[in-house]
Amino acid sequence: MQSFEPKIIALVCNWCTYTAADLAGTSRLAYPANVRLVRVMCTGMVDAKYVIKAFLDGADGVFVGGCHPGDCHYINGNLKAERRLSGLQVILAQFGIDSRCFSLKWIGASEGHEFQKNMARFTETVRELGPQMESDLVIL
Amino acid sequence: MIVKFEKGQNSSDGVRAFLKKLLEDGMADAVLTACLSPHSPLPMPTLVTDKAMLDRAAPLLPVSPFNNARMASRVLADGVGKRIAVVMRPCEVRALIELAKLSQCTLDPAILISMDCFGRMENDDYLEEYAKSGEVAPGLPASLGDRSALCTSCRACTRFLPENVDVVLALAGETDPTGVLLASGSPKGETLLKSLASPSAELPEGRREAVARIMAERQVGLKELTEAAALRIGDMTAFQETIANCLNCYNCRRACPVCYCKECVFATDVFAHRPEILMGRAAKKGAVKIPTDTTMFHLTRMAHMAHACVGCGQCSSVCPSHIPVADLFITVAQRVQDHYGYVPGQDPGRPWPFLIREDDNHEA
Repeated sequence: MQSFEPKIIALVCNWCTYTAADLAGTSRLAYPANVRLVRVMCTGMVDAKYVIKAFLDGADGVFVGGCHPGDCHYINGNLKAERRLSGLQVILAQFGIDSRCFSLKWIGASEGHEFQKNMARFTETVRELGPQMESDLVIL
Repeated sequence: MIVKFEKGQNSSDGVRAFLKKLLEDGMADAVLTACLSPHSPLPMPTLVTDKAMLDRAAPLLPVSPFNNARMASRVLADGVGKRIAVVMRPCEVRALIELAKLSQCTLDPAILISMDCFGRMENDDYLEEYAKSGEVAPGLPASLGDRSALCTSCRACTRFLPENVDVVLALAGETDPTGVLLASGSPKGETLLKSLASPSAELPEGRREAVARIMAERQVGLKELTEAAALRIGDMTAFQETIANCLNCYNCRRACPVCYCKECVFATDVFAHRPEILMGRAAKKGAVKIPTDTTMFHLTRMAHMAHACVGCGQCSSVCPSHIPVADLFITVAQRVQDHYGYVPGQDPGRPWPFLIREDDNHEA
């Protein structure tokens, strides 16, 4: 059987996790090609609909990476994201989307290694859980 | 404080007389309550300043075409320097409190009046009942002894006693038909009841039993509802089946009292896709249903307001495709509200779980 290659959307904060990804790149730290990065200005702008859209359009996992608490460029956007997205996780779980397929982590700008490790770990988790959306849901 | 307001032949007469008295004595400048028009037996939320017009007031009829919180939030949008008595069902009060937390209205000028709520019927059922009986029942139609006359969400409502109101119309267990029992729920309410100079009273003996009986029925109803709804969502395929007949009319969104955005993203250009987007989507999967984003709409709405869902059931009532929207929301909301430890409408001082305060610390 062909091994399952998950599609992962990572919504990452411009000021920290995106910079960490950049650092991982310049440091030549490879991370799984399953991850597609989307840069956002702050995790506080990650509305539930972006995550829902990603899953409905075939993502198997969604990762949100923001600044450590206290480090938010906009004071507390990351905490807003945490509050809002924790509820979304509860909702999605009721629709059969495993809550482990949706992760919010804090990765600082200097943590290139941390970024690499998180991406590898998350990709592995999502791979083990398998596809989250029935493939015959073509038109939604 | 509890007083007996003795006027007329039944609780409805009593309530009308009480509301008139509020206008008469200048305790309120206006009353917002369900009133009958000469043209239909369906009562509509009405703002009344002339006490003679209160003859049409019918807040106890077992029907409610709107969740009145939306209407009340318009009247109370910002203090107009007038005191407004608002008569609403407990679920409507809960929704109004949620809107006040979002600064969409202010409760300071409001005198909140609510009743022990026996539930509402669907508009069509109520109108049919009216056509049969030919007259508007002063209290509840006889058929309401039968739980199945109520709409689904009312059958599953365990919060039918008013919370956070100034005056409670204590109807449960009441057998004496010569007026209405008024109980104060706040200092404001107590001052108001004192000034009525009505004889003080006790809650009826049968009240505890009546409340317990309704509560037991409702708890069974809630269990049935959530168990059935859980099967309808369970996974995405089941959910697709459940909402397959959705017309994207967004009636549920309009009817929802706590769908709080002034402008909904689903009514903006974000979801008014250009032809190339539609062609692209069709090409990706071979076909695309239009209108698009039906699942997206329902899930997003849930993510935005499930924590504040008051379970009024208006979303189901307005669905042209008879999708049990409220059942799904009530079921999902239960878990979300547990997750946040948040009960909508329970504590006016408690901010929304999404809001971050200055002194908030990171929660591990």
